[in-house]
Amino acid sequence: MKIIDKEDLDSFVADMIEKGEKEVVGVQEKGHKYAFQELKRAEDLRLDYDVTMLPPKKYFMPQREDLLEYEKDEDLSLEGVNEVVPRIIIGIHPYDLIAIEQMDRVFSDTYEDEHYLKKRKESVLIGVNMQEVSEWSFAASMGTATTDYGYDLMLTDLGDRYAIEIGSSKGSDLLERYCVDLKEAKSEDIESVEREKEKIKESFEKEFEFSPESLPWLMEQGYEKKEFWEEHAEDCYSCGSCNLVCPTCYCFDVQDISDLSLGGGKRTRKWDGCLLESFAVVASGENFREERSERYRHRYMRKGKYLYDMFGDIACVGCGRCSSHCVPDIADPTVVFNELMEEVR
Amino acid sequence: MSAEESIYLPETATIVDTKEMTEREKLFEVELDSGEELGHEPGQFVELSIPGIGEAPISVSSAPTKEGHTFELCVRAVGNVTNALHRKEKGDKIGIRGPYGTSFPVEELEGRNLLFIAGGLGIAPLRSLINYVIDKREDFQDVNILYGCRKPCELLYEDEVEDWRTNDELDYRETVDECPDDVCWEGNVGVITTLIPGVDIDVENTYSVVCGPPIMYKFVLQELEEKELPAEQIYLSMERRMKCGVGKCGHCQINGEEGEYYACQDGPVFNYADVQGFEEAI
Amino acid sequence: MSKKPKAAIFDFAGCEGDELQIANLEEQLLDLLNIVEVVSFREVMTEHSDDYDIAFIEGSVTRDHDAERLKRIRDNADIVVAIGACATIGGINSIRNTQDHEEVKQRVYGDKGDMFESWDKAKAVDAVIDVDYKVHGCPIDRDEFLHVVKSLVMGKEPNIPDYPVCVECKLNENVCAFERDEFCVGPVTRAGCDACCVNEGTICWGCRGLIDNPNEDAHMEVLEEYGLTPEEVMKKFSLYFNWQEEAREDE
Repeated sequence: MKIIDKEDLDSFVADMIEKGEKEVVGVQEKGHKYAFQELKRAEDLRLDYDVTMLPPKKYFMPQREDLLEYEKDEDLSLEGVNEVVPRIIIGIHPYDLIAIEQMDRVFSDTYEDEHYLKKRKESVLIGVNMQEVSEWSFAASMGTATTDYGYDLMLTDLGDRYAIEIGSSKGSDLLERYCVDLKEAKSEDIESVEREKEKIKESFEKEFEFSPESLPWLMEQGYEKKEFWEEHAEDCYSCGSCNLVCPTCYCFDVQDISDLSLGGGKRTRKWDGCLLESFAVVASGENFREERSERYRHRYMRKGKYLYDMFGDIACVGCGRCSSHCVPDIADPTVVFNELMEEVR
Repeated sequence: MSAEESIYLPETATIVDTKEMTEREKLFEVELDSGEELGHEPGQFVELSIPGIGEAPISVSSAPTKEGHTFELCVRAVGNVTNALHRKEKGDKIGIRGPYGTSFPVEELEGRNLLFIAGGLGIAPLRSLINYVIDKREDFQDVNILYGCRKPCELLYEDEVEDWRTNDELDYRETVDECPDDVCWEGNVGVITTLIPGVDIDVENTYSVVCGPPIMYKFVLQELEEKELPAEQIYLSMERRMKCGVGKCGHCQINGEEGEYYACQDGPVFNYADVQGFEEAI
Repeated sequence: MSKKPKAAIFDFAGCEGDELQIANLEEQLLDLLNIVEVVSFREVMTEHSDDYDIAFIEGSVTRDHDAERLKRIRDNADIVVAIGACATIGGINSIRNTQDHEEVKQRVYGDKGDMFESWDKAKAVDAVIDVDYKVHGCPIDRDEFLHVVKSLVMGKEPNIPDYPVCVECKLNENVCAFERDEFCVGPVTRAGCDACCVNEGTICWGCRGLIDNPNEDAHMEVLEEYGLTPEEVMKKFSLYFNWQEEAREDE
């Protein structure tokens, strides 16, 4: 563990921006919310944020992304496209780091998706332990309020300085390359960091009334509770907001976009959401998940069971973005899962 | 980026022949421009691209045992990609990714009686297996083929069906849901399930392979259950919106209380015992 | 579709803002003319021909004469595309559909009201003739218009979203209007505009109309929970949705 004075962290960030070897991205204010955005000035970095609107996943799987280009004349030519911008991403909270680890597994399973993986490989992740906790978050319940993995560097605010944990050679390289003044952490620093982490875990208002390990079991029991799902989904707009802000949602739609000459164009993918009405419509027009309640249930099944079955992860990291973005306020996983547990018991 | 680097990049292919089958279905013979064989197993599908229009999953309807290195796709004009494909002619270029998905368990079926049940376009994926079985006829016991469609004019693979009708080594039966008065039709009239009671099923040694429109499965499976054919001996080919074909995009997931499948990875060929009771499957 | 289809653009009761969007395509207009031949477009050209494959119609339908003219256009065209909110959903014109017609006439024309023929309700084009495609918006989005034209020329169904504007707000990482203590009808309004109004810091007024299966009851409840009076809620819904609401009640 290293120690850096706050001023020196500023110059560390400023140096990365100035040298411009990689694009520097950090959490900044947007409206009265926060977002990961390109950092132009070190002083715009807000490490005291509660939660960003979108997770940093957008840098590895952009909202809209070209997959290939085509050209049609006599012959047909098809060429894969992968626009990779190497980035240093500063200020990722532990729950988002854990979500990125999950996405790494999804995109490298069986068929490796280089569109995601290459962007991911070219990025350096600098985490930060939470200083503010979103009122919607329940990361402590999910075991994601702190993390020992998933970062290249991890910062913890210790008042006038930051502790830096080094998670990888990418992280230590970064410190060597840019940093000015690092000190070795003393045993009391290490203790302070541990205290900070314990404190964070106690700061969440929302929580599960049971261990998330029971989720796959709960979802299997709860699947047939039709009335439960219908009741909870009654006010659902099918707007997909809960999907689109989720750090572990990764479904996408693919569309071809032709040039105006009609001779060439590109194939792009765009984030999709299983709450949207047409998500499971097949070419013949049949919709395999026609009811709002079926789509609503599907999302919770994915989070609590399906992705667990496939990859071994509970696909909810407790960030609370889904509930905070749900206008009719029906998407709070702690409410849904706790109430389902009541129902099943 | 090469195909190794992007799992979404199709290879180019050429339509070497087309054949009008019905008003809605055409058969396309396709050759990969690399000159390589597709290398598919019966029951698998490809993602077919018409750049500018899009991509769609299509079952391969030729058997791997077919001579030559081309493969065949029987396509109903029903969406953007398939309509655009129908406008394509011999010599035109398309994109192909795959083959993807599970295949019919040929080894498990060897030495067994086979009961094929196909409804409408469901004959397309089954044909890859039927022709395989015909090519390796001595490896299998009795073969029954039940084939139904809505009207006589919708019958696919007319020439081949005629061979099946007259093939002594097969028991082929066909039906149409309805037959217009002015059409000559000597086969059965009624939905496909009306053919099942007439088939003698040795439940110990018979495997059934079923493919058809979503509505068909429920009724066919009920009939087979009545015949006491164990679920483990029934294979189904089920299509969903297999958009990426490689288990990423999330569109083709089929759910049930006990779990979930991706039609593009765990299917399109499923053992009935594995999806029985899956709300979204049958 | 033939190699280079002929297109005609017609206007009815509306502000011609959608035609202006087309005229303002600038350099893309030339590329567009490489794939379609425009044979009638009153706003920008004097020539006119009744020989066309695709008819684009702007404006809502408000009198018998409009209806007759539309029927002639339908007979001439293979494909009819309604463009802009007035044509696709009745638009701003249909605000008056819930008001007293005589009062409305009095307000607009004073004592000369009787000189102007007008139905008591403004209607979308598909109230009178079959419409094949709709390019929504007030005004239309140029890229979406081009997407529809390209699709028709290629023989492809245009991809018009049937999900709410919220989707595009999320993709663009907009601060939700509700989080800014403002109220919007984005959750029930068809996307496809890239949430352009919210991107600029304002709200969605609903110009692209309701999605096919909106959860209006839920949204009205939510708006009231957020503090709007029922009258204010109705106002939000009557700016663009009147005609669609009526059409749905009639079904």
